[in-house]
Amino acid sequence: MTRAGLPADRQYGRRVGLAEALRHRHVRYRHDAYRPLVDAIRSREAMLRDLPTEALSEAALRLGARIRASGFPGGAAASAGDPALGRLLAEGFALVREFGVRALGLRAYDEQVLTGLVLWDGGIAEMQTGEGKTLAAVFPAALRAMEMQGMHILTFNDYLARRDTAWMGPLYRGLGLSADCVQEGDPPARRREAYGADVTYLTAREAGFDHLRSFLLMRPEDEVLRPFYAVLADEADSILIDEARNPLILVAEDRTGRADPAALDRVARDLQPGLHYDVDTYSRNAFLTEDGIREAERRLGCGDLYAVLPGRDPGEPGVADPRRTAILTGLQDALQARVLLVRDVDYLVRDGRVELVDEFTGRVADRRRWPHGLHEAVEAKEGLPPSRESRILASTTLQDFIRLYPHRCGMTGTAVSGADELHQVYGFEVYVIPPHRPNRREDRPDRLYARSAARWQAVESAIAASHAEGRPVLVGTGSVAESEALSDRLRVLGIPCQVLNAKNDEIEAALVARAGLPGTVTVSTNMAGRGTDIRLGGPDEALRDRVTALGGLHVIGTQRHESLRIDLQLRGRAGRQGDPGMTGFFLSLEDPIFVKYRFLDLVPEGLRPEDGDMPLEDPVLLREAARVQRIVEGQNHAIRSSLDRFRVVIREQDRVIRQFRDEILRDERAPGLFQRRLPDRFAAMLDRMGADPGRRRARELERAAWLLLVPRAWSDYLESMEYLRSSIHILRVGGKDPLSEFNRTAVEAFDRMRRDLEDQVAALLLTVAPDGSGFDPEEDGLALPSATWTWMVPEEDDLYGFSSPVATSIAATVNPTLWTLAALARRFRERWGP
Amino acid sequence: MAGVFETIKNAFRIQDLRRKLLYTLGLLAIYRIGTQIPVPGINREIFTQLFERFGNLGNMFDLVSGGALYSASIFTMGIQPYINASIIMQLMTVVIPALERLQKEGDEGRKKIMQIVRYVTIGLGLIQAVALWYGARDAMQSSLPAWLNAILVIATFTAGTAFIMWLGEQINEYGIGNGISLIIFAGIVTRGPSAVQTLWLYFQSWTEGGSFFLSLGMTILVVAVFLVVIGLVVFVQQAERRIPIQYAKKVVGRKLYGGQSTYLPLKVNMAGVIPIIFAMSIMMLPQTLIGFFFSGSDSPIVQWILNASQGSVGYYTLYALLIFGFTFFYTMIQFNPVEISNNLQKNGGFIPGIRPGRPTADFIKHSANRISWFDGIFLALVTLLPVILGSITRAPGLWFGGTAVLILVGVALDLVNQMESQMLMRHYKGFLD
Repeated sequence: MTRAGLPADRQYGRRVGLAEALRHRHVRYRHDAYRPLVDAIRSREAMLRDLPTEALSEAALRLGARIRASGFPGGAAASAGDPALGRLLAEGFALVREFGVRALGLRAYDEQVLTGLVLWDGGIAEMQTGEGKTLAAVFPAALRAMEMQGMHILTFNDYLARRDTAWMGPLYRGLGLSADCVQEGDPPARRREAYGADVTYLTAREAGFDHLRSFLLMRPEDEVLRPFYAVLADEADSILIDEARNPLILVAEDRTGRADPAALDRVARDLQPGLHYDVDTYSRNAFLTEDGIREAERRLGCGDLYAVLPGRDPGEPGVADPRRTAILTGLQDALQARVLLVRDVDYLVRDGRVELVDEFTGRVADRRRWPHGLHEAVEAKEGLPPSRESRILASTTLQDFIRLYPHRCGMTGTAVSGADELHQVYGFEVYVIPPHRPNRREDRPDRLYARSAARWQAVESAIAASHAEGRPVLVGTGSVAESEALSDRLRVLGIPCQVLNAKNDEIEAALVARAGLPGTVTVSTNMAGRGTDIRLGGPDEALRDRVTALGGLHVIGTQRHESLRIDLQLRGRAGRQGDPGMTGFFLSLEDPIFVKYRFLDLVPEGLRPEDGDMPLEDPVLLREAARVQRIVEGQNHAIRSSLDRFRVVIREQDRVIRQFRDEILRDERAPGLFQRRLPDRFAAMLDRMGADPGRRRARELERAAWLLLVPRAWSDYLESMEYLRSSIHILRVGGKDPLSEFNRTAVEAFDRMRRDLEDQVAALLLTVAPDGSGFDPEEDGLALPSATWTWMVPEEDDLYGFSSPVATSIAATVNPTLWTLAALARRFRERWGP
Repeated sequence: MAGVFETIKNAFRIQDLRRKLLYTLGLLAIYRIGTQIPVPGINREIFTQLFERFGNLGNMFDLVSGGALYSASIFTMGIQPYINASIIMQLMTVVIPALERLQKEGDEGRKKIMQIVRYVTIGLGLIQAVALWYGARDAMQSSLPAWLNAILVIATFTAGTAFIMWLGEQINEYGIGNGISLIIFAGIVTRGPSAVQTLWLYFQSWTEGGSFFLSLGMTILVVAVFLVVIGLVVFVQQAERRIPIQYAKKVVGRKLYGGQSTYLPLKVNMAGVIPIIFAMSIMMLPQTLIGFFFSGSDSPIVQWILNASQGSVGYYTLYALLIFGFTFFYTMIQFNPVEISNNLQKNGGFIPGIRPGRPTADFIKHSANRISWFDGIFLALVTLLPVILGSITRAPGLWFGGTAVLILVGVALDLVNQMESQMLMRHYKGFLD
């Protein structure tokens, strides 16, 4: 990848061919614009080295004062070459580097300084594993923090937040800054303290949940957050793309009735595939057939599930019976739980609880649930007692939450393949930072087998070969179940191995520490990806040299994930910091990605591979197989960005309603609804309590009523809109644009919610007696949420299809013949085609 | 109607939207200017005469090309090749698996398909330009050698189409509305002044032939019928039958806001203008053939055909029946109740009171059929009313064609819809103020 003989040039990136530049339009490979600044920062090093530490600390304080006094000139980019900004940055970065040496004994490489500048400019830096992201992040974080408005660094997990705070703390302290971290389960007082620090390390979820909680506060002094200012997201692609859509929700327990999950599960268990239900592997959906519905009706003895309640007036059409609809919903959930969700792949059962396995990280996802009844259905399937039904109090998505920070940047090992999306959704540019030492990893071409069994045989012999040489081997499998099956087979073959998966995440650190030792075979899932740092030979230098001589870590992938970035993360475990290493993927045409997208259907008859144990070698077949992942990525991107378009209006409404509630919370706004809607009661209160105390009490009560009821109305509204969004695509049938209809409805519905809210507030105030006694917010029980969860959201396809807008709107208007032929051809193909 | 003007007024208040509107108008102006720039090397008068021979079919193309056909301008071929290319590609994605995969590749693949559409457009444009040049050989007039002039003319025609295509895509990208529709729309609208002129000429001739008040009455009648037709078309274009859809999805909140939007909309005019165009093409086939092969013939059969098309009751009845038939035919092709029913079932959706599967498909089909009856009558009426009035008042060409009105109204409604939707996204009043 890098060019030998051009070491000085290499630091500022590489040249890329035109094709690559066109394919990744939002990726920058050359960073010459930063060169003068990096040089300037380096040139200050010698001078700073001779100064006493106190003098440096004073210089840092003075710099902070200058920054606060001037503000950064125009918020300009470092690459723009503004001299005033350049001086501030050069001075600041040089100080950070020098304190890195003094406080931590780490001198940041020029590449890390370059990363710092890119981050300062609001970019996403792609840096390979082991290149020192943690230290690079301190540069922009420290300078932002000097503005005294808070700097959040979002880490991948709680452990990293804790570790980085402790590790980088001395550096910040040298600069006169404080660093702190927020951990899951911290009490509010602790959180407030951590958010008060100049730099706060925490997970995106903790920050997001605190943001949600602040929407439920009843007293302004309970707020733990400061207004959001600047954020740096570590593992940015994971937060901004993979996790972006899973909503964070605050819930309270609820006791609403629902259909009995256990009874429905018994029905679902006995249904026959193909007869009673069909499975659509492509959209990962199972649904009842007409026979299946009849069978369920017979088993449940509940009569016609689709019968309607008669309309109120004789002429009016009937409405769906909510009880029957609830049974249908429960039945649907039970079927999904039985057919689509697989134990030890999608979830684990541990300590009597269902725990979800995150698709991207392979880890147990903390406090994550499937939405609504699906979670209960899975519990029923596993014979576990059902958890309590819950009601949403507030929700947001990471995607929306991140946008609340005016200054954003991020870093990760894998950004390039998501660059288009990062640009489209957030406006980010991706900067590829060259590694400090050239990459020596060898990536072997994929090997493709017709049958899964042949693939596993090949994997086993590859493991055996490397193991015999004494090389450490890391195998990534698709699920907990697969990792266990492979380790069993290896043991039969007499190859000892350790298993790292969601089931034994508590001993992860010990397993990872051993993974780089000679002869160790580690069978894992996606868990051995992001954030896993495998040191060759462990801490022992002699062992390290031995492993290096053997060729480093051998990484074996056994399937392609839907996202290329996940595969790259697995590869990235080998070859850190210029170490040698080798990676290769062993695939089979029976892998989920090929089955789900019906790859073989697309391959012409003559090219279809025959069974056999040999890897397939047909170049066309291999090329097409490699394309499948790209197709899938493109599709998933399209789905995500179309969903994002549905968030625009909701985001704006969220901002408006939050601002409204915040103003009431801080008592900066008093809508005066009491006096307007209930003048008699208001007058009676003033009479009874005296004018001023009465007025004060009325204001106080009205304020409490708003604060209580706004979140309730808003969460109902959000659920309604989600229901609408997931069902609105049918409007396409009538030639309407679902998005504009959605927006139109959202605006009207928001207005209706507003009026409704006024009515609710007035109704609550009506319970106030003339002596000023009335409802008690604490007793009404919405003051404190009982739990925080995230939801697993299935990515759904737009069933009614995209078709080119030109073809639909115009062809339908003007050109009859060809259009009709196209429609006819489609009809024929559907009826008689394959 | 007041709502429409209100929308446009509001749209201009929002900076972003104003920019988009002005940009769109600017590009349309460029298009209009282009339709007035003559192609070098062609004698316009002879060219126009040549194409008038095609009669109504020529009129149809002239309509679509925004009057550029008769004027032998650089945009003579209009946007037609692009439309054809899009449709051919649509066809091909059904037939060729490689293209189908490309289409499924998401944004990236769609971009590639758009690129191919552009190349196909140029290809088709080239073919059409050659045909046009061949058909209008007699109109060539230039100091250049004939072969060089041919290249010049063909290249200009093709480049004109490519340029319009670019304009349309620019509107899609940076403007508002569907660029291609708007270009056709603009072409039709600019015929307004000449329509007024025609009306004025008739007014004068009526005044000369009868009394002033009679001609005034006639003029008012013409305008009134025009407005009524537009009103009717607007009404029917927006009319739809909404079949309520319920989903078996859990909504835990106590109150459902905005849930009424989950319905299956069956547009009354589902078939658009297609049935009219179909019927028209068939009705004109004999005439067109005669125009091509027997233009000078005085055989009785030829004469009979020519006479029959001049407004006999039988001719119009046949025309109406064809429109009616094609309405059903096209709705049937375009609208697949079984597929809709399947998708509903997969999504857990159902029509209250109707069981999923076959009963649902039957219900939808039945509803659509009933609507088609009305649609067929409506389309036949809109098409024939102006023609019949034209022949009663002996003023053909004065009454606005039904097709043009349908296109105009469709595009305009679409545009207003889009503006409204864009405004909703930008324009927020404070909460509870």
